Amino acid sequence: MKRRGFLLSLISLFGLSALSSFVYSAFRYLLPTSEVSGGGIQRIKKDEIPSGRSKDIVLNNIPVIVINIPQKGYVAYSKVCTHLGCIVQFDPEKRVFICPCHAGTFDINGNVISGPPPRPLTKIPLRIEGEEIIIG
Amino acid sequence: MKLMDYIDERLGLTSLIRSQFIDYKVPKEINIFYTLGFIALAGFMIQAITGLFLLFYYVPHPDHAFSSVQRIMNDIPYGWLFRQVHVVGSNLMVAVVFLHLFSVFFMGSYKKPREFHWLVGAIMLFFILTFCLSGYLLPWSQLSYWATTVVANLPTGFPYIGDIIADTLRGGKSVTGLTLNRFFGLHVALLPCLMSVLIAIHIFLIRRTGISIPPWYERLEHTPPSGYRHATYPEGQPFYLFMLKELSMVMFYIAMIFFVIAFLPTLFLPEDTLVEANPSRTPEHIRPEWYFLAPYQMLKLIPSKFLGIALQLILLLVFFFWPFIDRSPERNILKRPKLLTVFIVTTFLWIILTITGGR
Amino acid sequence: MSKKIILLMIFMLFANSAPAKEEWKRAFEEEYLKILPVGEPEKVSVCIDCHKSEIMRPELRKIPSEWRQSWHAENNISCHDCHGGDPEDEKMAMTPERGFVGKPSHAQIPEFCGRCHKGILEHYLKSGHGIALRKTGHAPTCVTCHGSHGIKKASIDIINEDLCTRCHSYERAKTMKLALSVVETKIKDTEDALKELRREGIVIERDEKEFFRIHAEFRALFHTTDVNLVKDRTDEFTRRLKDLDSRLSAYFKELNFRRNYSVFFMLLFAGMGGAIYFIYKENKGK
Repeated sequence: MKRRGFLLSLISLFGLSALSSFVYSAFRYLLPTSEVSGGGIQRIKKDEIPSGRSKDIVLNNIPVIVINIPQKGYVAYSKVCTHLGCIVQFDPEKRVFICPCHAGTFDINGNVISGPPPRPLTKIPLRIEGEEIIIG
Repeated sequence: MKLMDYIDERLGLTSLIRSQFIDYKVPKEINIFYTLGFIALAGFMIQAITGLFLLFYYVPHPDHAFSSVQRIMNDIPYGWLFRQVHVVGSNLMVAVVFLHLFSVFFMGSYKKPREFHWLVGAIMLFFILTFCLSGYLLPWSQLSYWATTVVANLPTGFPYIGDIIADTLRGGKSVTGLTLNRFFGLHVALLPCLMSVLIAIHIFLIRRTGISIPPWYERLEHTPPSGYRHATYPEGQPFYLFMLKELSMVMFYIAMIFFVIAFLPTLFLPEDTLVEANPSRTPEHIRPEWYFLAPYQMLKLIPSKFLGIALQLILLLVFFFWPFIDRSPERNILKRPKLLTVFIVTTFLWIILTITGGR
Repeated sequence: MSKKIILLMIFMLFANSAPAKEEWKRAFEEEYLKILPVGEPEKVSVCIDCHKSEIMRPELRKIPSEWRQSWHAENNISCHDCHGGDPEDEKMAMTPERGFVGKPSHAQIPEFCGRCHKGILEHYLKSGHGIALRKTGHAPTCVTCHGSHGIKKASIDIINEDLCTRCHSYERAKTMKLALSVVETKIKDTEDALKELRREGIVIERDEKEFFRIHAEFRALFHTTDVNLVKDRTDEFTRRLKDLDSRLSAYFKELNFRRNYSVFFMLLFAGMGGAIYFIYKENKGK
C-alpha cells in the first residue's frame, strides 16, 4: 500500500509538472508580447541634408543612407545589399547604388537594375516632424 | 460527493462508468500489442491539439506559408515546441499505426467476426496517409512543393481519368496556391471530421464484437457459430486495468516524441525543408516521406508507368479486402506456414523497398 | 496456390530490374518530375556545346569541365556573364553585337574581372601589384592567383611560397599571411557556427549578411598588398567578428534551452509511464 501511495504521488508530481509546463508554454504561445526588433530611432535636422545630397547614419547597427531627392523628398534605405550583405555605395551623379562585391546595381528607388541582388533595397520608415526627419 | 449524486440522478453516470470500465472485462491474455490501437488514438489526439495551436499562426497562402512557419519556429514563444511535436508526432503515429496493422494481421484478428474492423482500419490508414500528404505541403518548402508534385503526378498513369484526377487534386496543371488551399481544407476540416467518424465506428465495432485474444491460447474465444455472439470474458481483467496499461504506453510514446525532439531535432526536417518553395528549381534529391518510400521505389522499378500504378492498385485492393480473401478459420499464423512465409516475405520486401527508396 | 504464383511474379519483377535500375530511375524522374508549364526550361549554352566538342582545339576543350568545378558555376555564372556573346544563338555566340569581348590580354584582366568585382579592383589598382602592372606590364593579375576558369572559393592558402616566389622573395607575403591568419581562423569558426545554426532551422539571414560583409571587406583589403594596413585593421575585424559571435551565442543558448526543455518533458513522461505501469502490474496481480 505504501508503494502504491508513493507511486501515486510520483505520478501526480510528474503529471502536475508536465501539465503546468504545458499550460505555461501554451499561454506564452497564445499571448506573445509583441517585440519591436531594434526599435531605435534617429533624428536629423532637415538642413543637414540639402537637396540632392545624402547622409550616412547607423541605425540599430545597420548602415542607412538618407537621401534628399530633388522634387521627391526624403527617403531612407538600408545600405545592406540584398544579395549577400555587402554595403552599397551611392553615386550621387548617376543616382544609383552600386555594390562593390558583385556589382549589383539599384536605382534611386532602391529597385534592382542589374546584377545578382534578388530584392530591392530595404526602405527604412521615415517621417518629417517640423524641421526634423525621424528615421526608424 | 454531492456533485456526483446530482449528476447521477439525471444521467446515471456512475453506473455507466461501472458497466463500461469495471464490469466490462477484457481477457487476461491480451498482450502489449493490444495497446497499439489506443496509442494510435492518443497520437491522433496529440496531432489534433498541436495542429490547432499551429492553426493560430499559420497562414495558408503561398506568399506567407513558409514565413509563417518560420515565425512559429523562431519568433513565437514555444512555437518550436508545438511545431516539433506535430512533425515528430505525425511520423511516430504512422509508425505506431503500421505496428498495429502488422500485429493485427499477425494475430489473425481480422477474421470472422471482425472483417469490418479491418476494412474500417484500412480506410483509416488511407486517411492517415492523406493527412500526411496534405500536411506535408503546408509549410511550402522546397521539399513540400516537389514531393507533392511527384505524388500529384502519380494518377496520370491511368488512361483517360488519370489527368482529371491529378488536376482535381492539384486544382490545375501544376502545384500552386490553389493546391495549397485545398490541401489545407482537407487537412484541417474534411479529414478530421471523417477520421473522427471512422474512429467512432472502429471503436464501436470492437466493443460490439468483443475483443479478440491472441490465437495461440488453447481456449479459442469461440468457434464462430452462425448468428451474432458477443465475446465475453467473465474471468478477465476489468477494462480500467487494461486502460492503465494503455495509458502507461501512451506516456512512453510521448516520452519518445520528446526524445526525438531533444536529441534528433532534424531527423524529420531535412535541409530542403529550410528553403522556401521555388517552382522553377528542382532540388537534387527529392524523395517522399519514409512511409511512402516503398510504393515510390516500387514505381521506380517497374518499367511502365501504367503497370506500376495498376500494380499498386491491385495490391491496395488485396490489402483492403484481405479478410474476404483469406477466409480460413485458422487464426494462428504459426500453424499456417504458407501465410507466414507470405507475411515475412512481404514485410521483408517492404523494408528493403523503403531502405532502397531512400537512396 | 494461385497466391503463391502471384507472389512469385512480383518477386521476379524486382529481381530482374537491378541492371536497368539507373535507366528506369532517369525515365521515372523524367516522367514524374516533368516540370509543367510553370518552371524555367533548362538553360542552353552553345558556348559549352562547341567548346566541349571534338572540333575544338585541345587546350580550349578542357575549359568547360574546369569551369564546372568552379565557384562561378555553382553560382550560375556562365561563359557569357564574363566574356559576353549570346549563349543561345550559335551564329551570334561570339559577335561584338552581343557584347563578346573574347579573351582579355594580361593587362586587361583586372578590369575584366573588375566589371563585377568592383571593390577588389579598386584595392588592387592601389596595390604594388596593380601599380607594377600599369608601369611595366609584368605583374600578377587575378588569374595569376585565382586561375581563369577553375576558380575556387578563395582561401588563405592561395598565398603560398611556390606562387609568390615566382617574382620576389616570400618574406612580405609570409608576413601578410600571418597577419591574415588570425582573423581567418575566427572567420572559419564563425562560418561553422552559422552553418550549424542554419541547419537547426534558426533564421539568421541578417547575421549571415553581416558575416559575409565582414568577410568580404577583410578579403578585399588584402588585395592592397599593404601589410601594415591589414595589421592595423585586424583589431577592428576581430572586434566585429566577436560582436557577431556574441549574437550567435544567444541563438545557441536558445537551442540548448529547447533541448533541455524537451529532455525535461521526456523524463517526466517516461517516469509517469513507469509509475503507471507498476500500478497496473500490482493491480493485475490481485
